[in-house]
Formats: sequence, C-alpha cells, structure tokens
Amino acid sequence: MTNAVDVRGVSKAFNRGRPDEVRALVDVDLAIEPGEFVSMIGPSGCGKSTALRLMANLLEPTSGDVHVNGKPARKARLDQDYGMAFQQAGLFDWRNVTKNVELPLELKGWDRSRRRERALEMLHLVKLDEFAEHMPWQLSGGMQQRVAIARALAAHPPLLLMDEPFGALDEMTREHMQAELLRICGETSTTVVFVTHSIPEAVYLSTRVVVMSPRPGRITDVIDVDLGPRRDVDTREDPAFFKKITEVREALRGMERASSSEAAGPPQPAGMEDR
Amino acid sequence: MSEAAAVRPARSDSAPRARDGYLHRLRAVWMFALALLLVAVLWELYKVVGPQDGGTVFGWKILPRANDQAMPHVWQMLARFGEPERAGFPGTILTTILSGAWFTFRLSFAGFVIGAAVGLGLAVLMARFRVVERGLLPYLVVSQTVPLIALAPLVVSWGGKLHLGAFEWPRWLSAAVLGAFLAFFPVAVGTLKGLTSAPPTAVELMDSYAASWRQTLFKLRFPAAVPYMVPAFRLAATASVVGVVVAELSTGLAGGIGRLIIEYAREATADPAKVYTAVFGAAALGLFMAGIVGVADVVLMRNRPREALE
Repeated sequence: MTNAVDVRGVSKAFNRGRPDEVRALVDVDLAIEPGEFVSMIGPSGCGKSTALRLMANLLEPTSGDVHVNGKPARKARLDQDYGMAFQQAGLFDWRNVTKNVELPLELKGWDRSRRRERALEMLHLVKLDEFAEHMPWQLSGGMQQRVAIARALAAHPPLLLMDEPFGALDEMTREHMQAELLRICGETSTTVVFVTHSIPEAVYLSTRVVVMSPRPGRITDVIDVDLGPRRDVDTREDPAFFKKITEVREALRGMERASSSEAAGPPQPAGMEDR
Repeated sequence: MSEAAAVRPARSDSAPRARDGYLHRLRAVWMFALALLLVAVLWELYKVVGPQDGGTVFGWKILPRANDQAMPHVWQMLARFGEPERAGFPGTILTTILSGAWFTFRLSFAGFVIGAAVGLGLAVLMARFRVVERGLLPYLVVSQTVPLIALAPLVVSWGGKLHLGAFEWPRWLSAAVLGAFLAFFPVAVGTLKGLTSAPPTAVELMDSYAASWRQTLFKLRFPAAVPYMVPAFRLAATASVVGVVVAELSTGLAGGIGRLIIEYAREATADPAKVYTAVFGAAALGLFMAGIVGVADVVLMRNRPREALE
C-alpha cells in the first residue's frame, strides 16, 4: 500500500548562505498511512508549519524528498491530491458560502451544476445547509472554519492538511469542532495531518502525535494514541486520555530538558519546569 | 449545536446592514447639500464684512475684494443661468453650459477609459513582475510632476503629425489623452496596492489548488483589490475632467466647458456672474464623473462586509 505521505531525509533552510540562515527542519523522516490522523506538536519555531508546507509543496525542501499519495509532492499538488485549511478560515469575502466551497472545483474546470451539487453536499456534511447563501462575514468563527473544511474537502482529496485550524476559536467551539472534524474525516475516510499547539487537541484527534523541537526543527518523539473510537465527553474524561496527555507533555518537556542540559548537565528538579 | 444556535441572530443581521448602508448614503447626500449651503452663506457673509477693494494683512494683499464685480451675489449667479448667453441670443446660458459640459464630459470619459485601461495594465504588470514595479514606479511618480499646461501643446503637435493609415489623429483626442495622463496614475497606484493586498494565506490557498497566475489574478487578486480600486477610480474620474479642461484652455479647443470659462472670464468686468456659471458647470461635471464611479462602488461592494465600506 502506498503511504499517504512519505517524508524522507528532508531538511529545509531559509536564507541559505546568509548570516541570518535558519535551519527550519533537519533530517525529518515521517511516513503516514492512509486513514491515519497525525498531529504535529511543538513550540513555536519547531518547523511544524514548515513541514506541512513541504507536504503541500508550497515550499521546496533544501534536501531530501517528499511524496504524497506515492507521487512527488509537486505532482500531488498539481493533481489536487490534498485539501488545506489554515488558522484563518480565509474565505473570500466577495463569495457566498456555496461559491467559496465551489472555488477548488471551479479551478478544476467543473461545470456549474456539478459544482453546485457537490458544494451543497459538502455543506450538508459540515451541517451548514441553511447557510448556503450567506456571506462569510455573516457567520461565526466556528462556522467559517467549517466552510473552510468543506472547501478543503470539496474535491474529495484523500488527504487533508491543517495548520492550526481551530487556533482562533474559543475552547467550547474548539472541542465541538474537534468532534465534528473526526466525524467528517470518518465519513469521508480522509487522512489528516494536523498542526497544533494544544496537547489535548492533539491527543483527542490523533492516532499518532509527532513531537517536534526547535533550533533546528526536528522530530524528537512519535507517540501512538489508541483510545478507540472517540466519544466527545466520555473520551475527554477517560483516564487513558489524561495518561496520553501526560505522555505528550513529558515528551515536550523532555526535549526542553535535553536542550537546556546540553549546557547544564544534570536534569533539573521537576518544580522548575512548571514556569 | 450550541454554536450554531448562538450565532443564529447573525443571519437576520444582513437586512439592517444593507439598510444602514442606504441611510449612510442618504446622510452623505444631506451633508453635501448642507455644505453647499454653508459655502453660500459664508460667501454672502464675507461680502458683508469684507473690504470692498481688497485688504492687506501684515502688509500682504491677500483679502479678496468683496465688491459685486469680484464676488457677485449667490442669487445673481444662480439667476444668470436663466438668462441668455448674450443679449438677443436665443436660449438661456444654462443650455450653453450644458452643451459645453456634455462636450467636455465625452472627452473626459474617453480620457478616463484610456487612463483606466493604461493604469490597470501597468498595475497588473507591476504586480506580476517585481522588477517592473521597481523600475517603473518612480517614473510614474515623476510623470505626475510634469506641468500639464506645458505638456498640452506638445501632445497636440505630436498628435497632428500622427497618421496611421486612414486614421488621422483628431484634435479632441489630444485633450482626451491629457485627461488620461492625469487619470492613469491613481488607477495604477491604487490597483497595484489592491492587487498586492490579498492575504498570504489566500495566495497559499490558490497555490495549493495549483491555480495559474491568471486564475489567481481574476479569482483572488482583483476581487480583493476592489476596495482599493474604487477610490482610485473616483480620483481618476475627476482628474480626467481637470486634464481635459486644462487641455481645452491651453490648446484652445472649442466647444467645451474649459473654453467657456476662458471666454466668460474675458467678460468678467461687464458680466461678473457669467464666468461663475461656467465654473459651476465644470465643478458639476467633476461631481457627475465621480458619481458614476460611486454607482459602480455601490454595485460592486453591496455584498462586502461593512468595514470595507467605510
């Protein structure tokens, strides 16, 4: 079976050969199988967004190669093999909700009636049927993000790349959207790569959590999460859920300790990490 | 589902928003009328308190003369519209002004269209190629510092030497070109700013769909540029009127409002109110041109969020 995403020996440097060179990613290897939900987590500057953009072929790696759906990332982008969603829903103000969802189909050259049919189908999937004719600025942040998800999935891509899509939402909406996202991806059997800052979000959503560290950006840990089928409240209050959160947190802390112990030597007492 | 319920009121928002827009515009019309009235009142007030033969402030002779020859009464100027151009002439001066304004309007509109087309083309080129922007933009700015009055006779003489097959450069085209010369600049600069205003994530989104540069231009950059383009076009519309009027003045092109201003100014001592009728005609023409763009604004921006309307 071909992997949904295959990242092999990838490094990425910005401003190469200049004094302000940044090594955003160093020697990253990651294989993602179809149907997986993989979160990438780490502090700012660890290169998780860069990694996502490499998969999306919005950036070219400095070395190594990226395959999506068994094709080189560039080919996969040209074939629209993935959909993408950002922290800002990024809907076009001058298009109504349906027209926004139709955008990728329009670019693919679909005819009007087929486009519209698919857009309404997608809006049904994200439960926004009655908002089809609304303008984006008439919707709440959570609803806008749902439209963005509908747009990303409109062409039925097998892969969804998400860059902190719920980062700007309040906690209640966020948890609701997480449950919705799992339902939608379950119904459409979409593979997801999800960049986030939030540990509970990563654990709740993922089958695997990739922990990254900055300067230079690299993968320090990959944690499998097996919590069975997610049930919104039950899962969030399950002791196993908390155990995984702790595990991810310690992985993030561990690398903090590792990077500070390069200079300090012995591990620091537990209390000091809590700042 | 609590989330959907919480925002339900947002739906009914659309109607009041639209109504707010119309009220907003109605108020603008009101304020405009009020401002006109205020100017008329100030004019008359100055006539009462101002020095009849001009005045000096700290030795500078800057206070205008308030006598009836220099500053006719507002009602005299208005009444002048109803009188014939010259004693014994058929028709009122209003019809003369209107036909002059119509002549100038056609030239200005041609200038506006040419200028807008050139401006749009330059903006797209500059947005496409950074090199072009860096190389060209300074020259565009410099071009606007060339005094139009010096340029007008040149354009006319160049035009007179142009013969492209059967096409012979008509004289009025020189005036339109000078209008275009003033009109293209705001369009080029405003559109360029608009085209580059699309948020980076929106550009990334289009890239992720493997959209061509052309598709990104028409589906993202131009729609995103509209809020920047509307004021630019409004400026261009009035600038093209200025360009054409100045061209009429300096090239002696007959038939337009600019020529009327010159003619009537010569008669200012005998018939002081007359020249003001032509000046009002020119001002009304500028407003009319801006109004046309204003209508386009209302149509294009009707579905945009309110913030963009401000």
